[in-house]
Amino acid sequence: MRSVGIVGIGHTKFGKSEVPFMDMVCDAALQAMDDAGAKTGRNNVIDQVFVGTMGAGMVNRISGTASAVVDTLNIRPAMAETVENGPASGASAIKLGFMAIASGMCDCVLIIGAEGMRAVTGWEGTDFVATMLHPESEYKYGATLPAFAGMFTRLCMDKYGLESKDLSIVSVKNHANACKNPCAHIHSRVVLERITNPAYINATNPIVADPLRQFDMCPVSDGAAAVLLVAEDKKDALGFGDKKFVKIAGMGSATDTHVVANREVPSDLLAVRLSAKMAYEMAGVGPEDIDVAELHDAFQILEIAESEEVGFFKRGEGHLAARNGETALTGKKPVNTSGGLKAKGHPLGATGVSQVVELVRQLRGEAGERQVEGAKTGLAVNFGGFGNNVVSTVLTTK
Amino acid sequence: MEMEQMYTYKCTKCGKLHHPRYIVCQNPDCDGREFEKIPLEGKCRLLTWTRVYNLPEGYMCPWLNFGIVEFENGVRATGQIGFDEGIESGMELIATVGIVKEKTILYKETVVAPQHGFIFQKA
Amino acid sequence: MGIIIDEMEGKLRPPSIGMKPYEAKVIPLITGEDMLVREVTYDEIPLLMETIEPLMKQPKDFYDIVASRIYAELLGMYRYRVRDEYCFVGAIDGEIAGIVNGRLVNEKLGMSYHTITLRRGVRVGAQLFAAKMEYHFDFMDQDEVLIVAESPNGFKRWMIEYELEPRFECQHELGGVPTYVLTRELWEKHKANKNVGIRPAFEDVVEANKVLHKPAEIKV
Repeated sequence: MRSVGIVGIGHTKFGKSEVPFMDMVCDAALQAMDDAGAKTGRNNVIDQVFVGTMGAGMVNRISGTASAVVDTLNIRPAMAETVENGPASGASAIKLGFMAIASGMCDCVLIIGAEGMRAVTGWEGTDFVATMLHPESEYKYGATLPAFAGMFTRLCMDKYGLESKDLSIVSVKNHANACKNPCAHIHSRVVLERITNPAYINATNPIVADPLRQFDMCPVSDGAAAVLLVAEDKKDALGFGDKKFVKIAGMGSATDTHVVANREVPSDLLAVRLSAKMAYEMAGVGPEDIDVAELHDAFQILEIAESEEVGFFKRGEGHLAARNGETALTGKKPVNTSGGLKAKGHPLGATGVSQVVELVRQLRGEAGERQVEGAKTGLAVNFGGFGNNVVSTVLTTK
Repeated sequence: MEMEQMYTYKCTKCGKLHHPRYIVCQNPDCDGREFEKIPLEGKCRLLTWTRVYNLPEGYMCPWLNFGIVEFENGVRATGQIGFDEGIESGMELIATVGIVKEKTILYKETVVAPQHGFIFQKA
Repeated sequence: MGIIIDEMEGKLRPPSIGMKPYEAKVIPLITGEDMLVREVTYDEIPLLMETIEPLMKQPKDFYDIVASRIYAELLGMYRYRVRDEYCFVGAIDGEIAGIVNGRLVNEKLGMSYHTITLRRGVRVGAQLFAAKMEYHFDFMDQDEVLIVAESPNGFKRWMIEYELEPRFECQHELGGVPTYVLTRELWEKHKANKNVGIRPAFEDVVEANKVLHKPAEIKV
């Protein structure tokens, strides 16, 4: 299989976009192209574009985003497809780009992940996200993603002794990391005592989906991120010879039951475990080799559970590791150095690409104040649905 | 009205019970595609639950309670919980059927079309 | 030194049923900062008007309509043209983070005017709204407060979260927007979760917010 890697990255400031959806998409794309030195028009070498977005059609009423991108960026006649895999659309787009190059069909692929969720009101947005639940047995009831995260959290609390405060610890850590990330949606320090003190917790950190509180879940954000993939054997010929090559060492993805109630062990995230295993095997590494990780913390419980399912910690002990600061920037296993979905923001389709952008920054040594010293290998987990379609990626500069 | 009855779907080939409706039997060793509808009702046990305050478009109430239950025949289902006080994981409940959503959002319009589903009540 | 009001001006000024002072309180924010909620003094009103003036042209989230209306309501208060109006400010280290106002219709009935948040994302608006309801019910011992929402955020936060009762037959001063009412019963039901604050307010926080100033930049 051909070796595939990243030579360019782009990332808009997450939050409320000041520009129209397509401008935001193209901003991220051009940042990645400029970072790599990729040209447009006659000098274009990109032969495929994949855009990962969950709701451009539904929320922004724009379909065929990828086709529109190649035209407006003047990189025709590059092939173009828009990819939808819920909140894992971004990593799925990267996976397809990886496959396109590995297969030999393409040499250079531009990946963009994007979402413009703030174009609609919060409750329309909540409804839009909930449409990925099972239509007859979940969505119809008014259940939402926070509802399933709440029920999942309660199972983990009953089974492993995890406490509400553990979720707050993860949240405070991710907010602190986001303060060091200029692209993050929220640049606000959060003090643990202020979101856990029983005297005023209901006012500062109200319950949203019992037992989950406001600071146990991500905000609603707009944003776009992009990466430029090339075949290692064509890197020089395409003009990217002087760019640091961050190799996609392994990718894996797996599915689980659509109906959450029908999971064999409802407190497990099987698709996370299987996709990470696949990515590790392809890369020839194990969890012990990972220096830095971006785990999909749409809900803080997911960061804890995923840190167990990908093998960083024993099942049921992820919260203990968080309590001990092991996942902090200076800990043994730094998780979500970008601020995670919690504080960097979670524009659904952008998230999987954004996670990879953060890992590339870390592996290039360009993460500034949030740099993990000597990071060489990273893992990203992008979680779709309520865990029914998960994509994992291992990057390395080794 | 048939809509107001909830069902479990029994594979006519291997007998596995399903909820909701599937196209192909979920038993890894079976390839059945035909199912017999059997009413799904009665006692069940609450596995986990939540109270959601941030409801999607179309719900004008401050919160709703949701739960995942397991029926005596082993079938699990998600539904609304129809009471507020004393909800606890592990408790016994009775499955009733009621209106769980008043409106449906279709392309370009929202129609009033009550949909029926499980509302779990105290046993 | 007394101010002499001429006879005509005296006729123009509304009578008062008498308002009790609102005891300042400290609200802990998630950032670790402390917000003081207190009554605005008469002399501070022009500063508040100046602060929100730029938002009168900000259509996002209906800031324009809310800012314009508060501007007018504050002017009315400053020039003695509104009966029994009050205005509270939420301030952090002297910086104005939010403003709420309302008035008393009679001894038992209150009318909520507006809530504007200048510092978003730390629940300033929710806390200030609760503070004014606290004033109506727990300080002025009123039975009901009439409330309208002029933005989706307001509707969700007040009408749905407080389960307000519709009172559409009653016309709120803000015009034709459907009127809802917070009853004492609903207030008692929700206040434990909605209304917080530390009293007596810490002296250093009171001191830090003695002199108010505009935020350097208002990001809404």
